[in-house]
Amino acid sequence: MEVSAWETYLPTLLHWLATGGGIIALMLLLNKVLQMLGVKRETATGYALILPWILGLLIWNLYPFARSLYLSFTEYNIFQPPKWVGFQHYVTMFTKDTDFWPALRLTLLYAALNVPLGLAGALGVALLLNRDVKGIGIWRTVYYLPAVLPVVAVALLWRWMLSPTSGLINFVLRPIYQLLNVAPLQWFTEPGLVLPSFVIMGMWGIFGANAVILLAGLKNIPRHLYEVAELDGANGWQQFWNVTIPMLSSTMFYNLITGIIAALQIFTQAFFIPIPRRAGTFFNVLIYREAFQFRHMGYASALAWINLVVILAITLLVFRSSAAWVYYEGETK
Amino acid sequence: MTATSVQAKLSPGLRARRASSNVLTYLLLALCSLFVFVPFAFMLSTSLKTEEQLFVWPIQWIPDPTAWENYSQAFVELGSIAPGLTFWRILSNTLFITILAMTAELIAVSLVAYGFARFRFPGRDKLFLVLLSTMMLPSIITLIPTFLIWRTLKLIDTYDPLTIGSWFGGGAWAVFMLRQFFLSIPKEMEEAAVIDGADTFQIYYKIMLPLVKPALLALGVLIFQANWNNFMGPLIYLNTTVKFPMVVALKFFQESLSHEAPKWHYMMAMSTVMAAPILALYFMAQKYFIEGLTVGAVKG
Repeated sequence: MEVSAWETYLPTLLHWLATGGGIIALMLLLNKVLQMLGVKRETATGYALILPWILGLLIWNLYPFARSLYLSFTEYNIFQPPKWVGFQHYVTMFTKDTDFWPALRLTLLYAALNVPLGLAGALGVALLLNRDVKGIGIWRTVYYLPAVLPVVAVALLWRWMLSPTSGLINFVLRPIYQLLNVAPLQWFTEPGLVLPSFVIMGMWGIFGANAVILLAGLKNIPRHLYEVAELDGANGWQQFWNVTIPMLSSTMFYNLITGIIAALQIFTQAFFIPIPRRAGTFFNVLIYREAFQFRHMGYASALAWINLVVILAITLLVFRSSAAWVYYEGETK
Repeated sequence: MTATSVQAKLSPGLRARRASSNVLTYLLLALCSLFVFVPFAFMLSTSLKTEEQLFVWPIQWIPDPTAWENYSQAFVELGSIAPGLTFWRILSNTLFITILAMTAELIAVSLVAYGFARFRFPGRDKLFLVLLSTMMLPSIITLIPTFLIWRTLKLIDTYDPLTIGSWFGGGAWAVFMLRQFFLSIPKEMEEAAVIDGADTFQIYYKIMLPLVKPALLALGVLIFQANWNNFMGPLIYLNTTVKFPMVVALKFFQESLSHEAPKWHYMMAMSTVMAAPILALYFMAQKYFIEGLTVGAVKG
């Protein structure tokens, strides 16, 4: 039986209008009530304006955050009420779950390779696009294209590019395989090649947001710094190390943090490309499977918390190290 | 010290070196753009091949005969296992989700950002710090409880979970970005309006919004892109095939019709169709894509 499009859209449209109207009514109400209670007008309006975010923080962040922690100590399959099991899930994943350590290892290794390589590549591209040559604007437009493509399309495209039997990469490499008399590389299928395949796919993204942000950072470096360096006799390489890198370090730091967080949460690409079980599973795919395929909501929540702890620990480490290598202009220390 | 005075000091040898380094720049630019373009070209050319042409070497970049029918045939095959899921239905599903989510988020974000940027109230800076820290919270943590909320509301397999959450201030990142723009507007503009007797809403609507219009456009483009490309949301919340947006329809195709022997020509045709509107938007609003990305990131 077919459902018409309108039938599926209408309820959501009504709920959507009601929610929007409700939130705006609440904002107006809060503004009025606070002022009647004698709160200064500016203060009352300020609170009223940020009300949507406050509600969002409570409903979509704080409550789920607390609930997730609670669920991680329970057995919960959606159909029966959660049953308290204490630390059992955490013990299980560290000692019994054969998928846990490979997943953690694969995800960490992916981040460890993908983030530095991606950042270095993006810096190279940004330096190239910062050159003062004719028609550079067109190149900039072109280089950003891969980042506009839906991740799903990128994943499918690279699965096809790296297809062992008929992908473009193996076609191109065929003469080399014949020369060395080896079998074609089984990208994405041979456990040892899973990680390199994902890293290669990730490198296609270096032309994206990271390069754009670094390029803007490069443009922000005052020209006179280079002029002074040049008058002092610094060559190109010295200028790069002593002017460009320090002046760009805060931008690189931002890219590093966002890059690490994104890499540790890789999902869409990992979900779309089947890989052999022996190679491990990406961590978020593991969580998705436990939660939405096996309905192990409790165990999946515990896994999600481990994911959070790993991300926080690594981010904190990078933040700690930043004092040594990130230079902020105007900082007085 | 101006640039020209330095230029004057350059020796002829140095100038020659500059010229040769320009040649090197062009070479590198061309080499890198190969890396960008070849996969694109491969996607397009695959989408126009017949099944036999897929495995021919050397590669036919312009397939002969050209299988234009792949673009319609892919959706015909999809419709054969998912009744009612036509190309137009998928497109309207995708647009429905994207437009609702984008509109709500733009309205909410602009109000919240205006509040944070222009009003003084106790605890504001602490709250803003909380907002920034929510950016670090991985979405996977809140995913399961959020799913359970929608399940309690009996709204699984509807578009509600994908659109209504956008009313609540949207992404912290978007608020942060728009706040930066509001902060850059001189305060005198509002003060003049207050003297003229304008109320808060009038100031917001008539003065502030027009001034941050470029930022709103930039944000709109990025939010549109994020929703168009969103995979995990529709994957978790939608079960009925006829409700699928583009991304999940493609995944469904891959898993059902293309599982044993991948039909790459059809999948690349569908990928192209999915990417086309975003690419068109990018070429039209390129400036805004780039602008949206760089605010806040530089200057840290």
